[in-house]
Amino acid sequence: MGSSTIPSTFLKNIAQNGIGRHVCQLQRLTLSLCKSHPSSAAARKFVEDDLLDFTKGNPGIVFYVKPRRHRAPVLTAEFLNGYKEMIDLTRCTKEEIAQWIGLMRGRSGVQIMRIRKDWHTDTPSIQGMWNPFMFKDTKLNVTDKMDKSLSEYISKYKSASQKLIEMKKLQKQQKELEQPLKESTRVIQEKKKAASH
Amino acid sequence: MCVAAQKYVNTVTYAPKYTSSRRKVAYLKELYRRKLEVGPDEVKHPSAFGCWNHASEVYAFGKRLGEEFDEQKLAQAFIQKSFVESEKEKQKNLGLLLDVNVEDNTKLAHEGRILASDFVKAYLRYSYPHLFEEGICAIHDFLMSHSTLFHVASNLGVRDLIQSPTYPPSEEDYITTLMAVIGALTHSDLSAANNDHDVTNTKKGLSRAELFVLDFLVPQLIGRDVMEMWELANPMGLLVGLLRARGLGQPEPRMLWDAAKNTIMPVYNVGIYVDKKLIGKSPGETAAIAEEMAARDTLRNLLGMSNSRSPLQLGDQARHLQLDYRLRNASVQEVTSV
Repeated sequence: MGSSTIPSTFLKNIAQNGIGRHVCQLQRLTLSLCKSHPSSAAARKFVEDDLLDFTKGNPGIVFYVKPRRHRAPVLTAEFLNGYKEMIDLTRCTKEEIAQWIGLMRGRSGVQIMRIRKDWHTDTPSIQGMWNPFMFKDTKLNVTDKMDKSLSEYISKYKSASQKLIEMKKLQKQQKELEQPLKESTRVIQEKKKAASH
Repeated sequence: MCVAAQKYVNTVTYAPKYTSSRRKVAYLKELYRRKLEVGPDEVKHPSAFGCWNHASEVYAFGKRLGEEFDEQKLAQAFIQKSFVESEKEKQKNLGLLLDVNVEDNTKLAHEGRILASDFVKAYLRYSYPHLFEEGICAIHDFLMSHSTLFHVASNLGVRDLIQSPTYPPSEEDYITTLMAVIGALTHSDLSAANNDHDVTNTKKGLSRAELFVLDFLVPQLIGRDVMEMWELANPMGLLVGLLRARGLGQPEPRMLWDAAKNTIMPVYNVGIYVDKKLIGKSPGETAAIAEEMAARDTLRNLLGMSNSRSPLQLGDQARHLQLDYRLRNASVQEVTSV
């Protein structure tokens, strides 16, 4: 089957979970097992050893244990959005059952599908899509096509006079920057003097 | 199913199992046909399968959301009025004249709705201080609309908890329950339950309810254009009024660019100048549309609602907001009549 025939989706966050607070999306777990059959041995072991610790640590998940005579052990996970998933636990060890439960606890309840991209955003660009007018100067509207400025050669290097103008500008800027600094130091000195008197 | 048992029960309603492997396909086809005839299975509440503990479910619901609910109030939040009525009806039909005093969630839902509505408005006024009151109301109406509330409620896992005569419950039931849960939270301070006169504790329940609204309802604004929720009939008229009120000159729409004129996909780019300064621009299919959109863009910029504004304060950033419930934003009437 080609990738185009397999249903695909984008990453989803159910009801903006985690923006305000994080809510575990697993609502209910039902472990159906047989009390006597060997295929349910690991499930029984899980119930004996680990179930109480799990329920203590996860008060938000309701755990049901359902005895079913001579049936294979099955774990049913139900999520907040109503999605339900069943896992066959035949030939699973106790640790593997715990891992399955851990997997279900971390899921969002969205059916697993091929994800097209590892990221998704509803607003791909806040500034808006690029368009030919985006960074265009409106001055071009009133400039003649034959205007010299449009075809002028722009040198890679600066001319001597350009360099001089820039140096002068820089000096001016530095002076402006120093001005308030000096003032403030003077104010501080005056304050110190006043304090010492 | 036990095949032997089927034989004895009723050979008319059950398709007799194939005796030869050659009949297997025909047998399965017959089963399929009968299934189509019967239609889809009825959706059943989990309690129908013998696995249901309502008290545990209600307890887990509160824990999952990270709230300390008053258990009685929370349990009450799931009881629909129609459920109480139908139960009474059932008892009447059985000839039982019991005076069962079960309170439904109507009152809690009413309280929750008022709290949610007030909080959403106060929060929006705090977040968009320059937006007109009409715009605030439009965003508020979106958040408190049927579809938004149903979306939030259906993702909180209340479907099985709702006690209503029908299953699955109606959309109205979902919304009432969500509001009642908020209402239950306002009453849910366990220390306050012991001492009704302690004002600070009651306040604590209120603030938890407000945080609930902030965490579950307000995030529905994420990824949405809030200015589109406010329907503006005449944006240019409003812009003229707003500029006059702010002591600025008349807006002057100017064509910045156009392209592909006289084709099926022309584009015009109109900018709005005020006092020789460009304060908004937008493209459009026709010059008139572009002008209207440019006026909307200018309004966005003037009202502090531009697309590049910083995002809403949510989650941990919004734990200690100082909201003033008495404050109202200026309405269009107030601003433009000056």
